[in-house]
Amino acid sequence: MRILMTLLLLLAAAGGTAVVLTRSPRRQVFAMAANGLILALLFETLQAPDVALAEIVIGAVALPLMFLVILASARMDRAPRRPDGGR
Amino acid sequence: MNARARLLTFLFACAGLGPAVVVLILHLPRFGAHALPYGDLINDSAPRERHVANAVSAVNFDYRGIDTLGEEFMLLCAVTGVVVLLRSKRGERVDAPAGRVEGRSLRPRSDAVSGVTRLLAPVTALFGLTVALHGMTTPGGGFQGGVIVASAISMVFVGEGYRSWRKCAPSVAFDATEGAGAALYALCGFASLLAGLPFLTNVLPLGTLRHVFSGGLMLIENAGVTLAVAGGFTVLFGEFLEETRVETRDDES
Repeated sequence: MRILMTLLLLLAAAGGTAVVLTRSPRRQVFAMAANGLILALLFETLQAPDVALAEIVIGAVALPLMFLVILASARMDRAPRRPDGGR
Repeated sequence: MNARARLLTFLFACAGLGPAVVVLILHLPRFGAHALPYGDLINDSAPRERHVANAVSAVNFDYRGIDTLGEEFMLLCAVTGVVVLLRSKRGERVDAPAGRVEGRSLRPRSDAVSGVTRLLAPVTALFGLTVALHGMTTPGGGFQGGVIVASAISMVFVGEGYRSWRKCAPSVAFDATEGAGAALYALCGFASLLAGLPFLTNVLPLGTLRHVFSGGLMLIENAGVTLAVAGGFTVLFGEFLEETRVETRDDES
């Protein structure tokens, strides 16, 4: 148990650092999702399964999805809003 | 601010905060030992007083039920804000094709993706309902179950594409689900007021400990949270995904 906890704490530290050090936004989103999963495992090991479930659904699903959609929306080549091209 | 000035500021902050952090770490309680009586108290009294095995649910829906009511309306306000901001700019039409990044080839969706999501989406939805339904006995509950159901609905977008997903998740229905869930939770509070008791008092029979349908009024509150969260997150995902489709002429009307 002690080994598992130490391992997960180290992994969480490494995951958090990886999120900060990743420069490309798209990769950063996936790093953040992975970090969310590590945190969920850590919470589960600390006997907080409710928090772990919430961390999975928010940290590893909902938040990355929104970031991905925003990135996609920002990169998209879309028609001008008005026929004359003005905004 | 140049790199040198930034480094100096950092070192200055370190000199101030570093010793404080070290002192705090040395004075932390031993790992796993806590001095707070609340958790032990709830663990002891929730099964006895509320006939509920999951103490977290007992806190969320009963002992601190008023906090969850606040969170419920916080979610409602957040979702409403997103809808007002994004939908008013974009218009109500939902039949435009998906947008694309210039210079990137459009590959047709592979059969494997469709097949896997067709298998997984119903199973995920069922799992979400199970997590929500068993909120009183096992970890989970309305919030977690609701988000899992919402992500199952979003899987249709991955597997079947924009049009089928729009048909599958009509936003009117999920707007209503979100509002109805929050209303159901609030009405639970008024039910006890009608009986002459304080707001959100557990007025229903509590049932047997470790049974799925234990906890009395908490079950209805849990159902309300499930509806509100499933509806809210579906609407939220929907509004954000709508941002990736091609803009049409009547947008920004």
